[in-house]
Amino acid sequence: MTNKKFLHNTGTFLIFGGPSVFAFFAVVLIPFLFGLYLTFTNWDVRSGDHTFLGLANYVEVFQDKTFLTQLWFTLKYVLFTVVIANVAAFFLAFALTSGFKGQQLLRTGFFTPNLIGGLVLGYLWQLLFSQVLPYLGQKYGWALFETSWLTDTNKAFWALVIVSAWQLIGYLMIIYISGLMSVPVDVIEAAGIDGANGFNKIRKIILPLSAPAIVICIFISISRSFLTYDLNLALTKGGPFNSTELSSYHVVQKAFLSNEYGVGQSEAVVLFVIVAVIALTQAYFLKKLEVEA
Amino acid sequence: MKRSKVIILGVCLALVFSILAACSKNNSTSNDPEASSGSNSSQSSKEVKLTFFNTSAEINTVFENLFKVYKQEHPNVTIELIPTAIGGEQLQKFQSLLASGKPATIANLDAGTIHQYKDKFLDLESEKAKYENLALPGAIDGALLDGKFIGVPYTAQGYGLLYNKRIIDEVIGSSFDPSTIKTRSDLEALFKKIEAAGKAPVIIHGADWSLGAHYQGLAYSLQSNNVEENRKFVEELKQGTVDLSTNTAFNGLMDTFDLLKKYNARKNDPLVADYNKDSADFAKGEAAFYFMGDWSWAVIGPLEGRDKDFGILPVPISDNAADFGNSQVAYTEPKLFAIDNSGSTPEQQEAAKAFIEWMITSEASQKAIIGEAGLAMPYKDRKVESSNPMSSAISKYVAEGKTVNIGVINYFPSDWWSKTGASMQKYLVDKIDRAGLTKEVQDYWKSTAGK
Repeated sequence: MTNKKFLHNTGTFLIFGGPSVFAFFAVVLIPFLFGLYLTFTNWDVRSGDHTFLGLANYVEVFQDKTFLTQLWFTLKYVLFTVVIANVAAFFLAFALTSGFKGQQLLRTGFFTPNLIGGLVLGYLWQLLFSQVLPYLGQKYGWALFETSWLTDTNKAFWALVIVSAWQLIGYLMIIYISGLMSVPVDVIEAAGIDGANGFNKIRKIILPLSAPAIVICIFISISRSFLTYDLNLALTKGGPFNSTELSSYHVVQKAFLSNEYGVGQSEAVVLFVIVAVIALTQAYFLKKLEVEA
Repeated sequence: MKRSKVIILGVCLALVFSILAACSKNNSTSNDPEASSGSNSSQSSKEVKLTFFNTSAEINTVFENLFKVYKQEHPNVTIELIPTAIGGEQLQKFQSLLASGKPATIANLDAGTIHQYKDKFLDLESEKAKYENLALPGAIDGALLDGKFIGVPYTAQGYGLLYNKRIIDEVIGSSFDPSTIKTRSDLEALFKKIEAAGKAPVIIHGADWSLGAHYQGLAYSLQSNNVEENRKFVEELKQGTVDLSTNTAFNGLMDTFDLLKKYNARKNDPLVADYNKDSADFAKGEAAFYFMGDWSWAVIGPLEGRDKDFGILPVPISDNAADFGNSQVAYTEPKLFAIDNSGSTPEQQEAAKAFIEWMITSEASQKAIIGEAGLAMPYKDRKVESSNPMSSAISKYVAEGKTVNIGVINYFPSDWWSKTGASMQKYLVDKIDRAGLTKEVQDYWKSTAGK
């Protein structure tokens, strides 16, 4: 009897979970492990074969000064993107759950950037930054926009942050909305009767009660912005003079343009470890803040 | 109740299997060389499928149309285009195809890339004599890589200071004769006149490929008229035994760059580097000169309201008219057709050879490449006249033997233009001075020693 039930359960799992498990192994796990193996070799697409090198590639990673400076650059980028995107998404969600007319339409509107691929988005904003804004800037004498933001190292950084945050906001907003909707109305009303003002309501009640949404949003935004590649490629191409190369972009350049696959791949692994450590640590600590209503 | 569960289960199963079936169907029709070789052996040479990797991104559609024409003439050969984007990640795409074991049968690549991957391509030595008969004198020699014929050149391109004849004619009040500009001072005098007339003298396109590969590439090509000599010069740079800061050609070229910088129409924001806008502004007469090559015709040609008459000047490097480079334009056969030898079947290779010959000799393809795309082909029997005044101007230099062969850059590392192009960009926006630039370029070369 139990045997039959076990078989039945396995069958059900295979039907529903099987395809995803297969896909996960085929396109994530196996390539990842194989990639990990390649970091210990001197594999080169031109020759096609490889010999075992041990840790030599990893030693070179930490001697690659550009990689380290760009890692630092990436950390700054992630920090600003995550903070801006989450704060903006939270307040957007807050505004769009207050129940006014047309909030559904606005939700859809803010979510749309997420549906556009990073490349298209990047090219759109590139046009905006390098043609439209300078045109307006010169016409109306706005000093901030007179030259393209993408040709100045500092402004190009902010351009990257703005566009990435803009793309993320809609996605995070949806999660925050569902988090906010789960905050019981009677608790907020009770707080109002007890004399709490709007700021206190947010700080003492809404924030702690929507902590699960915050944990998820920060996790998603950290892992996504660490691995930004398409936006980087379309918006700045790493320029001006390679000053806005994010780590993923650098990895691809190193591996495919400079023909140093082993080192590039090792840098990708290092990046993976850093992302995993940061994202998991924040999830662990923030989870402790969660409370039950 | 039970029956409905069975039905649901059945529907789910059917869905899953149909998805799997769809996947496997996709696989068998993809360009997997092994799959097509399997079908080839059973139904010999009935149906050949070729893939064509194209890095001449500006004429993707021209090629695509040609493949359709070829399909009509040769119904058993299907050619599929693998397009790339202008200035996009072309090399990365090529490498990932190669690494995944599904290389394109024919690749239209930079000669330098073909040299790097020379083990992957078919040796075309047996075809060499045929192409030598077809080509202009010296064209096949110019396409040899390490003395071997592995890529068929299909276009010849030149670059330098393109000029808009109408603007200069208006400024000097008579018909402009390019041979009057022999030295840097001549050019400066003309720039001054243009500026005094209220026009912008020159556009420098601020992209790293233009500044790095093209402008700085001249420095190595101007060392001598012999590609092998120039290669030796770069080897010495890698070893650190020559010093760029005292090199005449390099410094002369950079002095001219200072001049261009001073009169650059994009002075406010030199790195904007919008290729379409720069080309269009030049073609509409917003600047008299433009450091670019005849390939910009792909943008300029179809433009509405553009000027008609364009020409080209060499980039002068000194005030001595007799110096090498002052009357020669940079000339190269930048793109070669090469045939894959790492994953393609003999049938595919034979079909590819036939197709390449057709691309060089047929009227349809010449019409498309010379007529439509406005490229120059380094072959004798041309059935179409070029619509591109710039490449006609370059052809004149070629006929007179006044060219700088920039073949040395074919042997450079693939990240050369991107790395030193970044240094040139810094120099363009005054982030580093001449000494800083020289140091960065030399440091780059030293870092590549032994690789």
